[in-house]
Amino acid sequence: MLLLILTVFVGAPLAAWVARFGRIQSAWAAGLVTIVAVLQLITLMPAVFEGETLIHQWDWMPRAGLNLSFRLDGLGLLFALLILGIGLLVILYARYYLAARDCMGRFYAYLLLFMGAMLGIVLSENIIQLLVFWELTSLTSFLLISYWQERADARQGARMALAVTGAGGLAMLGGFVLLGHIVGSYELSVILQSGDVIRAHPLYLPTLVLILLGAFTKSAQFPFHFWLPNAMSAPTPVSAYLHSATMVKAGVFLLARLFPALSGTPEWSALVGGAGLATLLVGAVFALFKHDLKGLLAYSTISHLGLITLLFGIGTPLAAVAGVFHIINHAIFKASLFMAAGIIDHETGSRDMRRINGLWKYMPHTAMLAMVAAAAMAGVPLLNGFLSKEMFFAEAVSASTHLRLGWLLPATVTVAGVFAVAYSFRFIHDVFFNGEPVDLPKSPHEPPRWMKVPVEMLVALCLLVGILPALTVEPLLTLASSGMLNQPVPDFDLALWHGFNIALAMSVVALVGGGLLYVARQPLFELHDRFEHRLQAKPLFDRTIGGVLGAAGAITRALDTGSLQRLVALFVAFAAVLGISGFVASDSPLTGPRDLLPVDGISLLAAGGLAAAALATVIMHRQRLVSLILIGVVGLVVSLVFVKFSAPDLALTQLSVEVVTIVLLLLALYFLPRRQQPDSHPGHRARDVVLSVVAGGGVAALAWAVLTRPYDTIADFFLANSVPGGGGTNVVNVILVDFRGYDTLGEITVLALAALGIFAMLEGLHLKGPTRDDEGRPWSPDMHPPVMASLTRLLLPLALLVSAFIFLRGHNQPGGGFIAGLVTAVALIMQYLANGVAWTQSRLPANMHPVLAMGLLVATLTGLASWLFGHPFLTSTYTYLYWPLVGKFEVASAMVFDLGVYLVVVGATLLILIHLGLMHSASHQAPADTGDYR
Amino acid sequence: MLEYLLAFLIVAGGVFTFIGSLGLARLRDFYTRLHGPTKATTLGVGCILIASAAYFSRLQGEPSLHEVLVTLFLFITAPVSAHLLAKAALHLELPSLTPRPGERDAPQE
Repeated sequence: MLLLILTVFVGAPLAAWVARFGRIQSAWAAGLVTIVAVLQLITLMPAVFEGETLIHQWDWMPRAGLNLSFRLDGLGLLFALLILGIGLLVILYARYYLAARDCMGRFYAYLLLFMGAMLGIVLSENIIQLLVFWELTSLTSFLLISYWQERADARQGARMALAVTGAGGLAMLGGFVLLGHIVGSYELSVILQSGDVIRAHPLYLPTLVLILLGAFTKSAQFPFHFWLPNAMSAPTPVSAYLHSATMVKAGVFLLARLFPALSGTPEWSALVGGAGLATLLVGAVFALFKHDLKGLLAYSTISHLGLITLLFGIGTPLAAVAGVFHIINHAIFKASLFMAAGIIDHETGSRDMRRINGLWKYMPHTAMLAMVAAAAMAGVPLLNGFLSKEMFFAEAVSASTHLRLGWLLPATVTVAGVFAVAYSFRFIHDVFFNGEPVDLPKSPHEPPRWMKVPVEMLVALCLLVGILPALTVEPLLTLASSGMLNQPVPDFDLALWHGFNIALAMSVVALVGGGLLYVARQPLFELHDRFEHRLQAKPLFDRTIGGVLGAAGAITRALDTGSLQRLVALFVAFAAVLGISGFVASDSPLTGPRDLLPVDGISLLAAGGLAAAALATVIMHRQRLVSLILIGVVGLVVSLVFVKFSAPDLALTQLSVEVVTIVLLLLALYFLPRRQQPDSHPGHRARDVVLSVVAGGGVAALAWAVLTRPYDTIADFFLANSVPGGGGTNVVNVILVDFRGYDTLGEITVLALAALGIFAMLEGLHLKGPTRDDEGRPWSPDMHPPVMASLTRLLLPLALLVSAFIFLRGHNQPGGGFIAGLVTAVALIMQYLANGVAWTQSRLPANMHPVLAMGLLVATLTGLASWLFGHPFLTSTYTYLYWPLVGKFEVASAMVFDLGVYLVVVGATLLILIHLGLMHSASHQAPADTGDYR
Repeated sequence: MLEYLLAFLIVAGGVFTFIGSLGLARLRDFYTRLHGPTKATTLGVGCILIASAAYFSRLQGEPSLHEVLVTLFLFITAPVSAHLLAKAALHLELPSLTPRPGERDAPQE
């Protein structure tokens, strides 16, 4: 089954690619992909017909209950057949529908992606996986609806569909998580068995409401129905596919799927039945008044979805079977109706039913097909719609006997039936009779032969199912119902004639009443025109979305005024509040029981120097260069402190980071405006002083509290296992590349992304650098003094030697890929500074993206390589080699990983600094140099 | 014997470095101050490096080469920074105790 879904997903780019060889080829490719998928499904079918439920499972994160698992039972099979079968017909139809200027490859790629996502929904065993495919259908349907991207209504309709169904999906995620919490598993086979547990659980109602929100938004149930008519701006093949067999059926599929788990409670009946009934009526009434051909079909789709939902809401097994039956019938006749509407639109250039009249004379063949399909929609006997509607009426009557005011249900349902017949009449009469066409852009005629074939096949199915239900649809329906109900299927009879009963009477009333209603439509239309503008959902939706956006914008603007100082102040203030609340909440004393070490003079001196330098940085902050030097002092003292506390790795890292930072800041200082900032407002200064004292004091208190307590760290473990486990005596490096290699992989990925982000920000940024210094003196014309330039070139091999040395010994002695990378980066930056960008770029590639990519690739491949040997990701190994001159030395696979770290560090550092340097030369007057870096 | 030599070298290095720092603090104009850190410090650090090389060579029983590398770096970088500092000072026309050499390096305003 995985293969089946993969076929379709892989087919999507294939169809797009094939399109470069011609439009028709793309359609062929899409069709072939679908046929291959159908064949795969057929090979799985015999087992399902024997009553098996096929489940294919691959563990992914079993402990979190997340697996890749697929399930094929009767219900899934029915839907998969509908999706693939109608998909195939739509592919054939679209090949004739799309105009020469429309991009075929894109269309078929989207369509196949959507098809794959739908298949994923109906074949999922894991509900979280189901949700992923569910969201994929939202996304791909967005692409399909907005296929004509140049049209504003298409974009708006697609956005609305995405917003509504996406919001529903979010609610559903909550529902699924609750469901998994109740049941203890996300697997459907478990969930479907534990219906009693779920229904008795206190969280049942929230779960139900959240899941129903998802299903209702997808299936366009009232009051979320409004996106569907607005999605009619999609190309008609898309509408035919999305709104007959797939997208909107996903919601009712979910109702069917979870029927055994969730149904059978008063809440279920009230929510599902209520929404279904409202939708049925609203859709049917609105459909009659739409002048747009597709608008009428859209509202009729809504109404039929309501009908199906209502059947599931009634909650008896028989009603659910009727619901599944109507899903099949509706998919067949609605797809053919949409296709017929598309043909009419295509051949007349209009969809307005006030203009397209009397087409019987021009396209009798199409007219005949459309009329049969419309009759099926109205529920005329001998057609498939009649059968399921009859079952529906019968179910409505039998359900009403249990209810107070029960007669209301059959009555409302009959009214909806009357309207359904009326709008079907309107579809037939307005379009094909009713005088002559009015002012059409094109003169109507029959479409190409093959464009009608899909419609013919669907209409033939309508007739076959309608006349010979027991032979055609019954086995499949029984199978699907058993898959849905998870229990024996109740007896049902798909005969045409059930004798004189209430359901037949309701059918007759609907047919006759619908005819009368259509005849007397004129006053109703006037009434509708008067109130129409009040009944529009779109302005309301737009206002809601606008309000949400406005509120979000207001919050952002209130918090982020564009002032960095303010943001930092807010951030520090929040951190201080959290920290203080932590201190206050704890009742243990600040000073722990551990004895203090004696203070020695050198430490005191270093601490004093550190404090003085930090303080001086604040005081001198207006003299930028001086404060930069002071920051350097702080960094150097910190690295000396690391040396004192036997952390040579940290000291080396700190030192090299310090160098790179200072260079970076020097490059950035050049662009700062020269004008003196006005002094801060005294209030601001007071705020800053208070904040910094509180924050700094808090950190100091925290450090004091931690350091005066005895504590066990995991350091002992690392110290003990570094050599036996990682084969290196430099514990820091072994932790980085071996024990916590996964963290490091994540970190270098972040580093690479940050570098790319900075690159993206610098790209195309033009800053004007000053041409003179603070006192109005021009820059020295001697950009690259020969003494410096030539001696720096001498330094490069030496620095690279040091870097290689640090890298190679990293596993056993202070060093490693990170420090070596920084040293290399500094060595190369020296060349840029001393010799200028142009000179260096002619010798070194300036494009550092491949280096970044190579580094990530090396690190990841090292991790993956351990899979080859059957070990988990990033397992490292080591061995000892004997090299004649050097002696015995150790080779660890972690060193290759370290090489990846090295490359990423070099790439990221250089990428940032080179591009800052390039900005310098661009801003500088002399065309080819790095600029003065003072 | 070696210990005396090492002690002498370390003390000499310390003294040279101190004199260099003192000069940096006490001398009266930029150009003379430049002598302090560059010349004296080079000599001082050089002494300490020789002492270190000798000590660790004896301790480990094989020649210690790190110091050679450090010396190389020092001898390349110290003159370059001194040169650049002097160039910058001339460009900025910092006040000098003696007249500056001609107008060759000082560009016209």
